Amino acid sequence: MSSIANSNNLGPLVLQSVMPSILYTPTPYMNYRNVADKASVPMHGGTTARFMRARALKPATIQINPDGIDPGLQKPQRDVIDAIMARYGTGCIINETLLVQNQDPVLAWVGDRLGVAGKQGEDLLLRDFVVSAASPIYASGGQVQDNPTNYGVSDFSNLAATLDTNNAIKFTEGLKAIDGYGSGPTRPAFYMLASCELEPDFDALTGSGFISAYNMSYPNKAIPSEFGNIFNIRILVSSENGVARGASANGRDVYYNPVLGKQALTHISQDGESMRLIYRDPYFSGAYAQNATLVIKFWQAQALTQDTGIRNSLCTRAGNYGGV
Amino acid sequence: MAEYSRIAQGSFTSTGLPQIVNLPFQPSKVRLTNYTKATTPAQNGVPFAYWQAEMGQGFAVIEAFNSAPALITDIVTSNGISTFSAGLLLQYGPLLQIASISTASAAVVTTASPHGYASGQVVIMQGLYQSTTTGMPQIAGVPFTITVTGTTTFTIPWNTNQGNYTALSGSPTGAYVKQVLYPYLFVPGACYISALSLGTTTTVTTTSAHNFVVGQEVAFRVPSLWGTTQLNSLPNAVIPGSPIYGYVISVTSYNVFVVSINSSSYTAFNSNQAFNTAGLSYAQVVAVGDVNSGGVQISSGSPLYPPPYTVPISTTQVPAISFPGIQGGYFNNSSYGFIVGNGVGATLSSAVLVGASGNVIYYEAELSDLTQVDGY
Repeated sequence: MSSIANSNNLGPLVLQSVMPSILYTPTPYMNYRNVADKASVPMHGGTTARFMRARALKPATIQINPDGIDPGLQKPQRDVIDAIMARYGTGCIINETLLVQNQDPVLAWVGDRLGVAGKQGEDLLLRDFVVSAASPIYASGGQVQDNPTNYGVSDFSNLAATLDTNNAIKFTEGLKAIDGYGSGPTRPAFYMLASCELEPDFDALTGSGFISAYNMSYPNKAIPSEFGNIFNIRILVSSENGVARGASANGRDVYYNPVLGKQALTHISQDGESMRLIYRDPYFSGAYAQNATLVIKFWQAQALTQDTGIRNSLCTRAGNYGGV
Repeated sequence: MAEYSRIAQGSFTSTGLPQIVNLPFQPSKVRLTNYTKATTPAQNGVPFAYWQAEMGQGFAVIEAFNSAPALITDIVTSNGISTFSAGLLLQYGPLLQIASISTASAAVVTTASPHGYASGQVVIMQGLYQSTTTGMPQIAGVPFTITVTGTTTFTIPWNTNQGNYTALSGSPTGAYVKQVLYPYLFVPGACYISALSLGTTTTVTTTSAHNFVVGQEVAFRVPSLWGTTQLNSLPNAVIPGSPIYGYVISVTSYNVFVVSINSSSYTAFNSNQAFNTAGLSYAQVVAVGDVNSGGVQISSGSPLYPPPYTVPISTTQVPAISFPGIQGGYFNNSSYGFIVGNGVGATLSSAVLVGASGNVIYYEAELSDLTQVDGY
């Protein structure tokens, strides 16, 4: 039987140098947070966020009678949209290493990951809310005989026509006359939030209306997640966009790609804050245990604040391009 | 006791169907006591059951009465106790072969093997072809609330007894059904319309639970193929650009409600869609607001300030775990918890884990500090 005292049985001494920075963690683009309007309920403001929208009045298209009798007056009305706040959070236990090592670097990177987990939570909540609440329009312009079909360029024409007919407001125009989101590389446009898996399908429409972000007139103004545009729809992609696997009429994947204008979707927080980072010092919780916790907590609600300005565009793919 | 463990206890009255128990956490251990079965020992009664995460989802260890009756140990290997973390949409159960679908209202779906579904669950179907030119692909991909009528049968709220639909039979290749796991995480939302009854008010039937309340403001999206386009919120000939909305004035059941729109002169609704469905968009109704100012009213057995609720089947209200809020508002219905399935013992094959309808079952659920299973 060998013994560790025999140096012939010992492995070589391995030296290690820890690189100064931690490697990046692959993280999807979070597009929903970016295109959503922002609103905040005040602290102690209750559980329900209420939005009100004035209804249009009947246009004054009939001349007033010259006999001096006033026409009947109109009753102004408002529509009300309510959203109920909910509380979310997650956290980590940092175990009892405080006395034997410097915990600051651990807290730093765990705090960093918690922040991302919180932001991604906000984004996924918005994503799934839109999947549930916005009306779907099935793609019909592609060649794949399924429901929905893959994208054809006519689908983008139809989507833009639907939102324009609904008087949806494009980004970089309209309310407050400001650039609501970015100073874009295209003229005023709607946004489509799409899955990265659809990139080959968009590429296939090059020459039929699709312009890659790489080939835009001002590519330096493209948003990092921007893949391109078709007519006046700017396409932002993310690997976490909604996909219903095997959910088409013939069992293909169905992609939920909301197309929206300004103020269509609102992300509601509390007291103007994004989220709260809570660190609890290590303390004795037993005869030996001494643990710390680091958690994030946030309040959120979400609402379709202009139902006319958003549609879920559903499509499948022209083919399975592989890649894992 | 460790610092971060969580323990919950409570009870429910069995319906004989899988029982969902919402908790503030996803337990790693569950213990059940069927008080009814423990009171009167009888063959196939399951007074005690136990599960922990390391066993795997859908398993359980049970103590059940044999023919003596004496307690023996047994295991459940499917439809036992499982946990859930309902936080993301677009998740589905396994594919099940469809054996047949009838042409009827409501259509009857028969699966090739026991489906294990419960009434109120939501499914989608695919590959609904009897031949290359016949079948009912018109309803493929549509979310349907099911009413279970047997171990391999359930109905869906759609009229397939129309000229463009052909019954499915003989387990057609590629015809599958699968469960939509968490269909109501965000409520209220967009619903597919299966029928419209026109008149001085408009009665709407949806394919799955609408979860609307009285006072809900709704908009219609009816593509021209479906007929009743006059319900659409736009265009508006009187005030161009201003959407026309309706209000829910009564809720009949989980998928039927009445809207304050006089549709007497409107075009009839047409669900007899053509066989070729490529690119077919469906008629929908979508929540856009409400005119309410108060929350859910207190009722017998409810909390003092009841939270909003869903109605997955019939008129049964299932409260969310969220805070109270104004009725009709958008709310999140995500949750953690566990499910007590209706699986049976491997030896005592008639000993049902969830017991019989009316059985009173007590539970203890625990999330331990230290577990060896990922996700806990």
